Amino acid sequence: MAEVVLDKVNKQYENGFHAVHDLSIDIADGEFIVLVGPSGCGKSTALRMIAGLEDISTGTLTIGDRVVNTLPSRDRDIAMVFQSYALYPHMSVADNIAYGLKLRRMDKAEIEKRVKRAADMLELGPLLDRKPKQLSGGQRQRVAMGRAIVREPQVFLMDEPLSNLDAKLRVQMRAEIAQVQRDLDVTTIYVTHDQTEAMTMGDRVALMKAGVLQQLGAPQHLYDHPDNIFVAGFIGSPPMNMAIGRVDRTDAGVTVTFGGATIQVPDSVTAARPALASYAGRDVAVGIRSEDMEDAALARDAGSKARLTTSVALTEALGSEIVVHFPVDAPRVVTEDTKALEEDAGVDDVPVAHDGNIWVASFSPRSRVRPRDQVEIAIDQERLHFFDPETGLAIRD
Amino acid sequence: MATTTSNATPAAAEDGSPPPEVVRHGSAKGGWFRRTGLSHLVGILALAFSIFPILFVVSASLNPTGTLSSATLIPREVSLVNYQELFDGSFPRWFVNSLVIASLAAAISMLISACAAYAFSRFRFKGRRTGLMSLLLVQMFPQFLAIVAIYLIFAEITELWPVIGFNTSAGLILLYLGGALGVNTWLMKGFFDTIPKDLDESAKMDGATHFQVFFGIILPLVAPILAITGLLGFIGAINEFLIASIFLRQDESKTAAVGLYGMIADPLTKNAQFGEFAAGAVILAIPTVGLFMYLQRYIVGGLTAGAVKG
Repeated sequence: MAEVVLDKVNKQYENGFHAVHDLSIDIADGEFIVLVGPSGCGKSTALRMIAGLEDISTGTLTIGDRVVNTLPSRDRDIAMVFQSYALYPHMSVADNIAYGLKLRRMDKAEIEKRVKRAADMLELGPLLDRKPKQLSGGQRQRVAMGRAIVREPQVFLMDEPLSNLDAKLRVQMRAEIAQVQRDLDVTTIYVTHDQTEAMTMGDRVALMKAGVLQQLGAPQHLYDHPDNIFVAGFIGSPPMNMAIGRVDRTDAGVTVTFGGATIQVPDSVTAARPALASYAGRDVAVGIRSEDMEDAALARDAGSKARLTTSVALTEALGSEIVVHFPVDAPRVVTEDTKALEEDAGVDDVPVAHDGNIWVASFSPRSRVRPRDQVEIAIDQERLHFFDPETGLAIRD
Repeated sequence: MATTTSNATPAAAEDGSPPPEVVRHGSAKGGWFRRTGLSHLVGILALAFSIFPILFVVSASLNPTGTLSSATLIPREVSLVNYQELFDGSFPRWFVNSLVIASLAAAISMLISACAAYAFSRFRFKGRRTGLMSLLLVQMFPQFLAIVAIYLIFAEITELWPVIGFNTSAGLILLYLGGALGVNTWLMKGFFDTIPKDLDESAKMDGATHFQVFFGIILPLVAPILAITGLLGFIGAINEFLIASIFLRQDESKTAAVGLYGMIADPLTKNAQFGEFAAGAVILAIPTVGLFMYLQRYIVGGLTAGAVKG
């Protein structure tokens, strides 16, 4: 067990590409940290630098109490699970798991004991004599985990270990990996592009974009208090709804106007975001999560909530909730962040009506709204988010 | 047509009658000849084409008269006298020379090429591209062009260090190694490139050194290409005549190819010793065929299947 400290770590390739920019993270002993971000954000490069598979251009990397910048991988006492699993195809499952121990010239009985323990933990017992090609995707994934566990390393590194599994298995393995990590209490650095994995698995989440750390914190903190539009849009599914609105200061306090509605911003929100008042008379990016909106006909204490009237474009009944898509008559927020988010979502490939601003709300399943209905939507104004439309940063103080 | 068949089958199953096999056969255009006969015919033609010279040589080796003019496809008389005479002469010596030279040249060239190919495939270093390109370029010139230069170089070497000079197996092996290196390296590099780099990295994380990654993980996975380069190297060396004939002048240092040629090269006696020559050719084929049959099981693809998903 050990803590891992990245201090202003940079990766710059010979061709000038700056993959990781001044990355500083203190990872506590036994912590499960998730590096998340769209593809090409530098998260895998960061992981590979910790693994020793890439050189660190500048900065220091400390594992335990050793600076390991120039230490070869095998001396760093870390184990890694690859996206492709990278099982040795000519070895049986047992040999795959034992390979790292054999290289360390460990006692044969001890190897056997450890392999058995890892196999029991991952329910690989009956598969030990098989070759990797005789295994299913989920089983291969388990073997890859077993290979990491059996070494009893100081740190686990996982590079998108679940992205090759189908959706159902992914959910199951997600829980299993989190469980194994908790049982072993080994410092774990987990790379993924899937925000759900980041939210559900990590003690803390580090969200990266274009080689730069955007925000680091507990998953719920990133969800509730995103530092910028990119974090707001990346964390959470569906992503946070956003539109350009106008802030005004009236006798009663601060209001924000968008989509034909003027919403009184509660004092608690202005108190938490003192800088918001200074935006009076200017445009801001207003954000609201889908679950902070409700069918006004069903909303509790609906009277105190702001209203938005619109027509329903589409409903998706999920059983536990109804996802309602509706247009909002307000300009879309367009910044570097939103462009990066669209690129990540592959919006360019899908013919979407780009001029309209479509919001998504999750209503209670008791709601009776149908497509093309006029609907009144209650917005929980306590939960509004405000961002600077130019810099994309959250408006706070 | 496919629709008709799939419609007919469930109906036939329902009323209990056997599925309409005949209809299905008729629906494949052209009948038996188009489907199987043609490929058999092509196979038989190819077989006849390649087996004819073999048959002729085997037959000539069994012909006790032992002359070119008396050789026929079907021997009139069968005897092993040619083989007997062959083994009384220098042939056993030549045969051993051939085996030693071909085995060592094949094995060493396989190892060196594998090392070079691994480096070219996995590492990025200055001169990598240049190195690869020069290997390819050098390979484009036939070895034949270098014979004069090789002769002069080895004439010098023979005087200074006769252990690897003319008339030594070691010298000839060295020469063959240089010749095969380029092709083998390229061939292997292509194969190495198909082994996912994740495997190297995974082994590295498991604690393996470069050496252990190479011998423990990569080499077992490239067994098919090792088998092929080894086999090609062996065949090339055991059949090589031109350089060997210049290099090996003394009778006891000759390879079988050079020695056998000597039997039929003399215009006065060439006709007379043809039976022995044919017998030598048959014997020389045995190790090659044996090696091929042994290596055949390694020359199978799909060994890397299951390493990574997909």
